[in-house]
Amino acid sequence: MITWLLLVSLFCNSAQDGRLKDAGVFRCGPQNITVKTSDHGIFLTWQDDPSCVSVHDMLTYEIEVLIADKLVHDDEVAVTPDQIGSTHSWNWSPHLALECASFAIKLRSRSENRTSQWKWEHIIPAGHIHSDSPQVYPRDKVFQVGSTATFCCVLPMGQVLEKLYLSEQSSTNWNISRISNHTYTLTVHLNKASTTSCTDIICETKTADNGACAFIGYPPDDRDFTCETRDFQSVECLWTVGRNTHLALKSPTSYQLLESNCPKGSSGRCSHKVQVDFGERNWTLTARNQLAIVKLTDRADLTKRVYMFAPREVQVSSVNASNTRLDWEWAIQMYDKLDIKCQLNVSDGETHSVRERNGIGLNFAVLNDLIPNWTYKVMIRCGTSEHFWKWSEWSSSVEFHTMGDVPDALDIWMQVKGSQTIITWKVLLANQSHGDITDYEITWAPTSERPKKSRVMHPQNSFALILYAMNEYTVSVTANNEYGNSSPSTITIPILNAGSDKVKSSRTQGINGGFNLSWSASPIASCGYIVDWCPTKGPCVIDWLRVPPSETSVRIFSKNLREGVRYLLSIHGCTHGAPVLLEKIQGYVKEKLIQDGLFKTLKWEQRDMDVEVSWDPVALQDQSAFIQDYILYYRDNNSRVLNITTDNPQATSLTARNLQIDSYTFTVKANTSVGQCGATSITVTLNSLTDNLINAIGITLATIFVLLCLIVILCYRNWEWIKMKVYPPIPVPVLKDKWMTSLTKQSCRPVFVEMSHHNEAELMAIPELHCKSEAPAMDCADPGNVSSQTTNEYFHKPVENLGTQCTTAPCQLPLLPPPPLSSSLVTDGHLNPSFNLTSTDSFETSSNGYQPQKQEQQLEEAPENPLPCALTYILLPQLPSE
Amino acid sequence: MADRRSGVTGPPEQGRTTAARAAAIAELLLLEISNLLDLYSKRESLTADVIAEDSRLVSVPPPSSQLDTADKLWRLHAALLQCRGLMERAIAKENEEMGSGTGEYETQRKMVKERLTFLINITGELVKAVDGPAAVTPSLSDSLEPDNLTLFELKLWVFRVFTEVNYWAKTAVTILQALPKERVRNTRYRSTRSTRR
Repeated sequence: MITWLLLVSLFCNSAQDGRLKDAGVFRCGPQNITVKTSDHGIFLTWQDDPSCVSVHDMLTYEIEVLIADKLVHDDEVAVTPDQIGSTHSWNWSPHLALECASFAIKLRSRSENRTSQWKWEHIIPAGHIHSDSPQVYPRDKVFQVGSTATFCCVLPMGQVLEKLYLSEQSSTNWNISRISNHTYTLTVHLNKASTTSCTDIICETKTADNGACAFIGYPPDDRDFTCETRDFQSVECLWTVGRNTHLALKSPTSYQLLESNCPKGSSGRCSHKVQVDFGERNWTLTARNQLAIVKLTDRADLTKRVYMFAPREVQVSSVNASNTRLDWEWAIQMYDKLDIKCQLNVSDGETHSVRERNGIGLNFAVLNDLIPNWTYKVMIRCGTSEHFWKWSEWSSSVEFHTMGDVPDALDIWMQVKGSQTIITWKVLLANQSHGDITDYEITWAPTSERPKKSRVMHPQNSFALILYAMNEYTVSVTANNEYGNSSPSTITIPILNAGSDKVKSSRTQGINGGFNLSWSASPIASCGYIVDWCPTKGPCVIDWLRVPPSETSVRIFSKNLREGVRYLLSIHGCTHGAPVLLEKIQGYVKEKLIQDGLFKTLKWEQRDMDVEVSWDPVALQDQSAFIQDYILYYRDNNSRVLNITTDNPQATSLTARNLQIDSYTFTVKANTSVGQCGATSITVTLNSLTDNLINAIGITLATIFVLLCLIVILCYRNWEWIKMKVYPPIPVPVLKDKWMTSLTKQSCRPVFVEMSHHNEAELMAIPELHCKSEAPAMDCADPGNVSSQTTNEYFHKPVENLGTQCTTAPCQLPLLPPPPLSSSLVTDGHLNPSFNLTSTDSFETSSNGYQPQKQEQQLEEAPENPLPCALTYILLPQLPSE
Repeated sequence: MADRRSGVTGPPEQGRTTAARAAAIAELLLLEISNLLDLYSKRESLTADVIAEDSRLVSVPPPSSQLDTADKLWRLHAALLQCRGLMERAIAKENEEMGSGTGEYETQRKMVKERLTFLINITGELVKAVDGPAAVTPSLSDSLEPDNLTLFELKLWVFRVFTEVNYWAKTAVTILQALPKERVRNTRYRSTRSTRR
């Protein structure tokens, strides 16, 4: 009976299982389902139904996700038989924020074509539907540039969407869709990182607006990760921080070195205490933000990567004129055992040099070759000699001043100016003087003689010598300062003008503000070359440059070189004796147009129908460019312009030929390589030849007329004088016999005249005798006025006592014809008719010179002397006219 | 409030000078807060659509033509105190949520806050001068507490705070510039002090 019952029961069970299997009903399904949501998505856990114990095959859970009743995602979770009975989980990050819509999750199991019934779980957003303003989701979420994001706007009941958009993003590839009555989604391809604090997603309705922030940026992008040690007790790692993640606000990149957090804000540097041992190992840095985690690894032996600290307590000791010693200390004791090399950066204020020293635990250095009396600054940095990794930072700078010393030797040169030879030298620079220069000592002498000395005070830098031109002289100059004299600099002055005219002369053009000179090598230039130059404009202050014998070219550049100024350059060969002039060059650093008005004395001359325009030679200082030739432009009144040129730069005139009778403007220009310039103009009017002849005749006639008029006027105004000259009054003759006595009554005394053998002209040259009526002292009776004349001589003899008898009656001497204007009369001063006659004595006295005042005085002293009259002819008395 | 009479407790010239100084400071504040609003709008790319919000953050009795000088000054002083409280909270929230910087915006923001404090002090002196209430306690609405705001809402709230300060700076300029005339008139006709409110 019992066996029967068991058989029936087994049959019933197997029949029931068969029915269930046949119907697809599977009791093994999920139970105790929990759903958790977070910013990262949905997290689902469940357990197996106890009936699943009987399942011996693979069990699969099917999961489906529906948003707004629409399937948006499905998935499966496989459970192996040994996992049956444990808790299973599944997570998923939806593309849409959970707040945007109702999510439904269906879950069932499946095994051997049997499936359990769906179990439903719902995720319903809390409460936002009842908000009075639109709500935008997700909020404050981080997105990567280049990704696609979906935002939603949940509208309050009854409101209509106006706008849904993102700030800072281009509106292409935007997709707005409606997923429910009051929910819209905006799907955007994010192509730009947030430039403000965050990117705004704005949802607008007719009555209210709202929005949310999205942080759009990049994952960490750091690189170039290296580690080193400075103190052998810690590792210090450096890396290059990548591009700006634009997530500094929401998700700044954080770093971990060897799994220890680096300080917040670490930017490219992080250190960690660790015992540094020999041997390589991995050093790892982790950089992370919400978008990604980046790991950087450096494999290194840190004992070979020592980045030393800078030397400290750098001190200067035993400073001399040209050397000093520096000492310093190390901050890390381990450095004393290292093979160290150090660089010393020695700065002299303008330049700096780097000197290297090395040694075990190096902590001092000696600096040589320093400039005396000079201030230096020195910094030191060091590194390991073996397995050199990198230099330390520079130490703090230490400053010292070297002791003074005698000056360096001078650079001297010479310049011949006329009869003078100027010895000049370059003023020593501060780094050459080694102290304050006080004066210079110059010695000079012909090569065989004892030298002469002279001193000039600083800062004078030249000395003029007048040397005998036919000798070579040796000149030495030394500079003196408080520490002593420099070694002498010597130059031999050559015999002046020795063949300098035969030297090749050429021209050059400057380049880039200077001259590039080159010349042929000279065998006599045993110690090199000297190139000197001076401007033609302004004082010729010579400057020079020394060139070693191996070189035959030089660039001359000086801030003193001026454009538009001609420079005279000379190349001398340096010999053991006097320098030898090799070449002379003229040139401009840059030619400039000569200013207008170059020809200051522009003259013209008409020759027939030609006009020659001439000018003075143009001085060198007026030439701001080489004059190649001259051009004469001439323009007539019809503005017709013609020109003629001369290709002779020395020309001083140009002739325009075959001109018309017209007014012309002549313009002379100089032609240079930079163009025509220096224009100077004159305007002339040409006259015809007939006009010129008429003009000449007219001018001549007018001149003659004017002269005649002048003569007439002069004659008229001086007629009396002329008359006296031409028709002088004839003196009254003086007679000795009786008839003369009657004349005495008329107060006219006879004048004794002796005949002589003088010719007619001489006879004519008698002194005139003036008889003036009622004159108190008659000239004619004045014994002094009577002179006798012998052969070629005059003898003045005193007249007999007639003084009182010739006082009343004037007389005339009409018998004599008027004397001609004899040249002998005019030229011989002694024959001046108005001349007062003198005594013989006085004549003798005056034979050596004419002294009329003296004669008169003598005459007054002998009033009683008789006046002998010796006349060569007798003048008849004549009664004075009434 | 209507029973309270305005009067002058200090020397008339001194009161007039203080009022003029207060007006000048209010003008300066207005200029600076305008600049700050410009800077903030550019910094956060806020559009006009989003920032159109006309509700007030500061809670004071409504303006009325019935208010005398002392009432107007007291109302202004109370509003400015609330503005300063808002500014301080806005600065703190911004530094907390968006980080503190040292740029032009942060400098301008600090300057506005200091200028506002200065104006509060001087309006306080004026309130005392016209026998206003001795002390004013700022009260901010709880609904304006920005602790649970999203970042976007914080941005808008900060903007509203600045807008509120701008509004009260304008109001201060208007009240303080009109003050000397009224005060002179009150001085002439109200020589006796009345009971305080």
